[in-house]
Amino acid sequence: MNPELLIPLLAAAVQSGTPILYATLGEIFTEKSGILNLGVEGIMMIGALAAFVSAKFFGNPILAFLIGGCAGAFLAGIHGLVCLNFQGNQVVSGLALTILGVGLANYLGTPFIGQAAPGFSPTPLPVLSKIPILAPVFFNHDPLVYTAYLIPPAMWAFFRYTRWGMGMRAAGEYPRAASAAGLRVTGYRWAGVLVGGYLVGLGGAYLSLAYTHLWTNGLSAGRGWIAIALVIFAFWHPGRAVIGAYLFGGVMAFQLRLQASGTHIPSSLLLMLPYALTVMVLVLSSWKRQGTGVPSALGINIEPSE
Amino acid sequence: MRRAMFFWVFICVFAWGVASAADTPMKVGFVYVSPIGDAGWSYAHDQGRLDIEAMDGVTTSFVEAVPEGPDSERVMLNMARKNYNLIFATSYGYMDPMLKVAKQFPDIVFMHCSGFKTAKNMGNYFGRMYQARYLSGMVAGAMTKSKILGYVAAFPIPEVIRGINAFALGAQSMNPDVKVRVVWTKTWYDPATEKEAAKSLLDVGADVIAQHQDSPAPQEAAQEKGVYSVGYNSDMSKFAPKSHLCAPIWNWSPFYKEMMEKVQQGTWKSKSYWYGLEHGIVDITPMGSMVPEAVQKRVLAKKDEIASGKAKVFVGPIKDQSGKLRIAKDTPANDRELLGMTWFVEGVVGTTQ
Amino acid sequence: MFKFIIKKRQAPLVWSSCLVFFGALVLSLAVSAIMLALQNKPPLTAMVLLFNGAFGSLLAIQDCLIKAVPIFLCSLGVAIAFRLQIWNIGAEGQYVLGAIGATWVALRFPDLPWFVVLPGMLAMAFIAGGLWGLIPAVLKLYMRANEIIVTLMFNYLAILFLDYLVYGPWKDPVSFGFPMTREFSTSAIVGKIGHTQLNWGIILCIFSGVAIWIFFKYTRLGYELKASGENIKAARYAGLPYHRLVMLVLFLSGALAGWAGFLEASSTINRLQPSIVVGYGYTAIVVAWLARLNPISIGIASFLLAGLRVGLEHLQLDLQVPAAFGGIMEGLILLTVLAGSFFVDYRISLGKKS
Repeated sequence: MNPELLIPLLAAAVQSGTPILYATLGEIFTEKSGILNLGVEGIMMIGALAAFVSAKFFGNPILAFLIGGCAGAFLAGIHGLVCLNFQGNQVVSGLALTILGVGLANYLGTPFIGQAAPGFSPTPLPVLSKIPILAPVFFNHDPLVYTAYLIPPAMWAFFRYTRWGMGMRAAGEYPRAASAAGLRVTGYRWAGVLVGGYLVGLGGAYLSLAYTHLWTNGLSAGRGWIAIALVIFAFWHPGRAVIGAYLFGGVMAFQLRLQASGTHIPSSLLLMLPYALTVMVLVLSSWKRQGTGVPSALGINIEPSE
Repeated sequence: MRRAMFFWVFICVFAWGVASAADTPMKVGFVYVSPIGDAGWSYAHDQGRLDIEAMDGVTTSFVEAVPEGPDSERVMLNMARKNYNLIFATSYGYMDPMLKVAKQFPDIVFMHCSGFKTAKNMGNYFGRMYQARYLSGMVAGAMTKSKILGYVAAFPIPEVIRGINAFALGAQSMNPDVKVRVVWTKTWYDPATEKEAAKSLLDVGADVIAQHQDSPAPQEAAQEKGVYSVGYNSDMSKFAPKSHLCAPIWNWSPFYKEMMEKVQQGTWKSKSYWYGLEHGIVDITPMGSMVPEAVQKRVLAKKDEIASGKAKVFVGPIKDQSGKLRIAKDTPANDRELLGMTWFVEGVVGTTQ
Repeated sequence: MFKFIIKKRQAPLVWSSCLVFFGALVLSLAVSAIMLALQNKPPLTAMVLLFNGAFGSLLAIQDCLIKAVPIFLCSLGVAIAFRLQIWNIGAEGQYVLGAIGATWVALRFPDLPWFVVLPGMLAMAFIAGGLWGLIPAVLKLYMRANEIIVTLMFNYLAILFLDYLVYGPWKDPVSFGFPMTREFSTSAIVGKIGHTQLNWGIILCIFSGVAIWIFFKYTRLGYELKASGENIKAARYAGLPYHRLVMLVLFLSGALAGWAGFLEASSTINRLQPSIVVGYGYTAIVVAWLARLNPISIGIASFLLAGLRVGLEHLQLDLQVPAAFGGIMEGLILLTVLAGSFFVDYRISLGKKS
């Protein structure tokens, strides 16, 4: 492959990785509080649809983006209800949410297929877009990519320095002790689910507002599942999530560019790259690090009487 | 007096016969392989269906996203048991199941799209989209400056490969040094991947993007970069007004109407229908204003030639990517060769896998 | 002020389990009906059509049975894994690998008689599917890799591998370049039973169901599995062979899904092609959760969910309901059953807020 393609490839990696980044950050937020939400794929689809329809009706992409997040939070709320109030098994509930969310989005979105809606376009940042190599890679995208740069440091600071952040971590690590100490574990978990769902919804909204300006069946195409894997790769740390998301976006962009350059490798094999890579990074991450970073109480419901 | 009476009785019986034939309510069923919204393929068939639904005495219905295999057999059996008169199945993989069902219901007419098996009550049909692709290729070839055309394609099945080849031949007729680069997305519906594929082609220098995909995402990518694009299946200019040159489109209405009328009147016979420009089954949209008059005239003239049968798209000498001669000089390729095309013509860069 | 006091029951109520299941079913149907009504489709007609289409005639019941076979086999496998708290999301990929394994035998030995080819296909499907489940098990045990993600990624890899094979080395020379293998020779096809549409795969289901039931009830390994599932830490402390159990469970899980793939390729389609992938692996998760481990309940639940799919086609045909509606119903059923199980496991009473 031509080395001239490197810069465009990195730029594509950033853009392609952005929806995954939003989703990964959202899921990190949820899992930190101890709730495992496997419904990310379904939530992304609902967020994408809600954002698209809102953009069509209100004509305001920013509003549409925020509404996409709300839709995501709403769907995540169902998961919260089933797990936190009805003690449902978190794994199965998340899977059910995916089936429901994808089906719901495809069903409700049928009348909108093949239409366009106003969205975001690339806006180069004023001063920064003049920097030679970094500019096209990082500073020549649509505004939602820039917003995505702000979230990881904010989340990191939240978990490390704020009282709420520490409370959430407590809810995810030692919920019984935290509860005994007077923390409202269920409340923190609800926050985790809803805010996390909101971010995942934003990731979906990115797909229909910025990445493309279209809606169609199956818009998320498995990105939600990748996000869940990346959470583990990131050791539940927002900073590493950035690396993971852009890396994954990069692999997807890479195999397409390899094809465009005229390679003879069958495309089915090339398409395996992102998924094989996910397995590899997952295995390597889990193996080396003795599982540090995973919230100890992840996926375990707290009995109501405790 | 008696002769007059006979005459009038004859007229009445004849009129009654004609009237009842015309009034026979027809139930027509369609089986689609993908949802009618996102696959332009099924969408195009459905547009045809809607047109015949609007006719008197016809009710139509469809089942979408039917996987090939036993599910499709069951769907067609259901339609047959519910006394549908005419059933269309729009994907290659429906062929064997349809044959099985056709054998059980000899009074119902079955039509299979893109296949080759027939029976007394089953025929097959297809459209010569490659003719329209050729024309769109001519436009692309005339408008390119970098001499690199990008093609975002879904799956390496014969009709897609055939379309790419026709596109390349058309482009080469206007500009012999043109190259067509192909990227496979392996999906019919993933606008994000389609757009990314288009961008990867733009990165290697393509300045016209064509597609065999159903979403306008590649058009968006071309518009954002400020280059040209060729749509597919519908006029996609509203998505990319500055870059959209033209689009090859389907128009199944005339064909479905013809089939329906034939069945209604009892004149239908089983055969293979492969209509093209001459029947209006395929066409290209009006070209954008950025295409020079001279080019438009040439393309339209070629369209008339193909429609009238004077010119054919796949006429030798045509070599494949490795340089081997596939179609001999001055020989037109026959339908069987076209239906099973799994190789790229010279000038196309990419694999067929 | 009153508040709810929630206490876990000592032993979950048995009869109310069924009640909850049916209550959940009714609730999901009601919500689905409302959704249809919102889109101007007549809700009651739709529900009647759904039932009639699925169960209203002998032919319909046959259709359901045919569809239930692969769902049953996949669900049986997934349920075994779930019992050990191993979340096998990879049934879809294991199903594909089984089909690939069986196809390899069919394509390699088309001229041998059926009593050699079919068992060969059966064995190959078992091994291929089993291996596809075993690899994630090994990764989980020795590298601590989360099986949910690994099995899921393996689904994508399996489907892409299938694509590679049918577009490339295994492509049928006479099918005009369409992605599918050659048609299987008659010795490689599992036949139909008499004049019905059913195939002999039903025997495979009965055999597997009985075998698994015996395994859990009468063998030591089966007992260990059940015990480990209830409390993993305690089981390990007691010396039960957790590692072996995980590998066994995922291998079996994959092998059973592999058999489903073999049946679909051999009996229903008579070749291998991408459209063999229709989501049975994911439906299996729903069934496995609804039915716990009893093979009979799995059988019933598979039949019901197969009925859902069959009935939905009638909704599509007669009422033009989009195909995506099926996902909504499956998701709703699962969620409502999950929520409903709460009332089975916990007792609610009113108490005074102090």
